[in-house]
Amino acid sequence: MIIAKPRFRLEPYVQFAQKAMAREATYRFDVFTSIASVLVRVYLLRMVWVALYARNAAPSELPLHAIITYSTVALLMGLVMDIDQTRALHDRLHTGDIATDFMKPIVVPFYFFADGSGEVLFHAVLIVPSLLLALFIVHIDVPGPLVIGTFFVSFFLGYLVGFCINFILNCVAFWTLEIHAVQLIVTWVTDLFGGEIIPLVIFPVFLQRIAFALPFAAMFSTPLLIYVGVIRPERYAAALGLQAGWLAVLAVVATLMWRAGAKRVIVQGG
Amino acid sequence: MRHLRVMLGVYVQYWRINILTTLEYRENFLLWFGFTFIYHGSAVLALWIVLNRFPSMNGWTFRDMAFLYGLWMLAHALHNTFFSTVGDIPEHIRDGEFDRLLVRPLDTLFQAIATPGQVFPDELILALITFAAATWYSGVQVDATFLVFVPLIVAGGALIDLAFNLFISTVAFWFVRVDALRWIVIQLEQEFTRYPISIYSRGVRLLLTFVVPFAFMNYFPARFFLHKAHENAMLPAEIGLLTPAIGLLFVAMAYVFWRFGLNRYSGVGH
Repeated sequence: MIIAKPRFRLEPYVQFAQKAMAREATYRFDVFTSIASVLVRVYLLRMVWVALYARNAAPSELPLHAIITYSTVALLMGLVMDIDQTRALHDRLHTGDIATDFMKPIVVPFYFFADGSGEVLFHAVLIVPSLLLALFIVHIDVPGPLVIGTFFVSFFLGYLVGFCINFILNCVAFWTLEIHAVQLIVTWVTDLFGGEIIPLVIFPVFLQRIAFALPFAAMFSTPLLIYVGVIRPERYAAALGLQAGWLAVLAVVATLMWRAGAKRVIVQGG
Repeated sequence: MRHLRVMLGVYVQYWRINILTTLEYRENFLLWFGFTFIYHGSAVLALWIVLNRFPSMNGWTFRDMAFLYGLWMLAHALHNTFFSTVGDIPEHIRDGEFDRLLVRPLDTLFQAIATPGQVFPDELILALITFAAATWYSGVQVDATFLVFVPLIVAGGALIDLAFNLFISTVAFWFVRVDALRWIVIQLEQEFTRYPISIYSRGVRLLLTFVVPFAFMNYFPARFFLHKAHENAMLPAEIGLLTPAIGLLFVAMAYVFWRFGLNRYSGVGH
């Protein structure tokens, strides 16, 4: 079978993203719970750090207000980072709908990216009320425009790295259908080694080496350390470069896995 | 008497099916066991990382916190092994399976608990090992009091878990989707049992003692066994021995609520 390559148009993907946003907006109670859960964790982490800093020598690079800022911003980032944007891929492999997706005049991975981004954009909107409510619980530092700007660039790179990791995991479903446990395992590892719960600079040296050598640090740790000023402007280029490097590597892996997986579907489908 | 014998027979069959199912889906079981292991492993590792950098949290060291975690893990695993099926009730209500239980000549709640799935005592075994290691590591004295009270306290802790599990499932008689509510409670329990509750503000401490008594699962008993008698104007450590009574009380309340819900239940319209 020869499939003519359709000319690439952007607007279907914008539509996919809008559809995904509308879909997410229907789960109102989930919106409420995710905000409530962030607020509870903001309170909890604040108390934990206060208790720890009260009786011990504070690390010089991260005073109490910096670590509380770090934790709060990490939780707000989690609202968009913790979403499995490509779950649809896994679901459609399960139901077999993926076969019809291949017949549509779209680039299927872009469809998943658009769908996931719509979901993520909707959750990104939740950051605003969460942040406003969180300010009743904690005080967070607001750095200058250069730092904030770089933070957002780094956050976006981190988001793309997270997208690739999710995509790769969901591609595993081409081979084995049960991937839920594996995904949860990766989630725990990401939370810890990505620096979402505990800043990596607090880790003991040998664990720090491991954590900084893994791609997960590019998701949370880099943008957050830029935000709190541990990564100084002279090291921005290197930090963002490393994130971009991971992104390139993971994008290649994701593409290869997608190609191999897609071939399998076509072989199975005859 | 005959009734009890029938129930026992059903219950034995329930475990037989569970174990046969687990043996049938071995890869799946191994994956989920890996998940359980990483889940608890990463939680303990996170505690270790933090307390390695900050050796004391309100006077609690890593050794104390290991005991705190081990005690919670054991009670929680006991609940998950024997009563996790209670959490499936909302799903049964939604798909209409629940109505079948109503017309059978055995107690409805018992039938719900004894609905086979893929339950295996792997988490309980892991929890026993962890608890034994934590007891040894924290230097808690294993004497007659310990041997008599620990099993009772663990059972009481599991009952506290069961009470909330049953309470949430009962809510499903009125509101069919309770996933979000369950998720909040699970998260609260996880987060608020990890650290000594003395780090929180007064209101939260009262909440965790009297309203959602997770503090009785591990904090109060751990204080008793670790001889932490004075902890900034909190209740005396001896009340940790009341955990079994608190567990029974809360399960009784949840059961009354369950009966109330069951009597008013009239199906979801299948």
